[in-house]
Amino acid sequence: MALPPTIPTSFVPRSASATAHRFRTDIIGTFGYIAYVMLGIIFVLALGVFFYDRILASTLVARNAALMKAQKAIDLATVESFVQLRNRLNSGTTLLANHVALSGFFRLLTTLLPSTVRFTSLHLSVDTTKKVSIEGFGTARNFNALASISTAFAADGHIKDAIFSSIVVNRDSTVSFALSASLDSKVVAFTP
Amino acid sequence: MNSNIIPTLALIVAAGILFGYVGPTWSGAITEKRLIIDSDNQALIAATTYATQQNQLAAARNAIDPVDLSRLAAFLPSSVDNVGLILDLNALAARSGLTLSNIDVTENTIAGAKVSAVTRANPIGSVSLSLSAIGTYVSLQTFLRGVETSQRLLDVQELVVKGSDTGVYTFQMKINLYWLR
Repeated sequence: MALPPTIPTSFVPRSASATAHRFRTDIIGTFGYIAYVMLGIIFVLALGVFFYDRILASTLVARNAALMKAQKAIDLATVESFVQLRNRLNSGTTLLANHVALSGFFRLLTTLLPSTVRFTSLHLSVDTTKKVSIEGFGTARNFNALASISTAFAADGHIKDAIFSSIVVNRDSTVSFALSASLDSKVVAFTP
Repeated sequence: MNSNIIPTLALIVAAGILFGYVGPTWSGAITEKRLIIDSDNQALIAATTYATQQNQLAAARNAIDPVDLSRLAAFLPSSVDNVGLILDLNALAARSGLTLSNIDVTENTIAGAKVSAVTRANPIGSVSLSLSAIGTYVSLQTFLRGVETSQRLLDVQELVVKGSDTGVYTFQMKINLYWLR
């Protein structure tokens, strides 16, 4: 009659050392397995790093070559010529906008000044703000002539802040005067 | 006991490869190369942009009439050439009926505050020429118009006119001339 498998065939107990030995063997086996797997992974990683480094090195060489080629394609003389042209255009525009044409003042003076008044000296100066100052000395035939030029300056409005001073009646009834004024910048603005 | 040695050695070798090669190579040579490549890439992009802009600028410059370019160069020359200018002014004065008696460079206003329109950002040099002349009022007007419409930019900064009963006047002028440095 066969015994059911759940009934032990022997009543002699297994030794404890055999169980421990099997457990230690399993641990050692797992440790070895993990160690080899890790070695493999790191080896593959090292290979990857090595080849990536090589790829980067070759990329770097290619980039450097391309950069050198691009650098050689830059002609410094051409760059300089562009910079010069830009500076010339920009500066020229600025200078031309501030260009002063004093002949405009003389044209205006010709229209305003009656024949009875003449200047013996005139000093025009242009300051940094493009303001034109007028200092002058002159002679008028009489007071009426001087008054007429004063009125003409005021009516025209281009010769501003006109101050007649040092007014002296000479022996021949002519009137000497000094003039201090400023000029409207529109009068001396250059128009091509 | 012996069965532990080889896995332990394998772990030691793995650690050695990891810390002796993989780590230093990744954080050292590879990082450095990647940074250089990034920098090179940016430089190449800049070079491409430059090439495109250079072509555009060249096309724009070529669209300008060469005669206009030469006039522009005469308008604002690359050198002072005040001697050549004095010769031109002398010729202009002769054509206008003025007699120049004295021409001199009075001051250099390259970095000075005299030239308000010209800032340090604009590489413009400037010199003042003072000149004395004798002539009629009409000749002065002709000379002034010639100076004002000169191909080379000239600004009359100061003008002194002294009259006489003979109709011949004495003139003193200060003229600014400019050049591109």
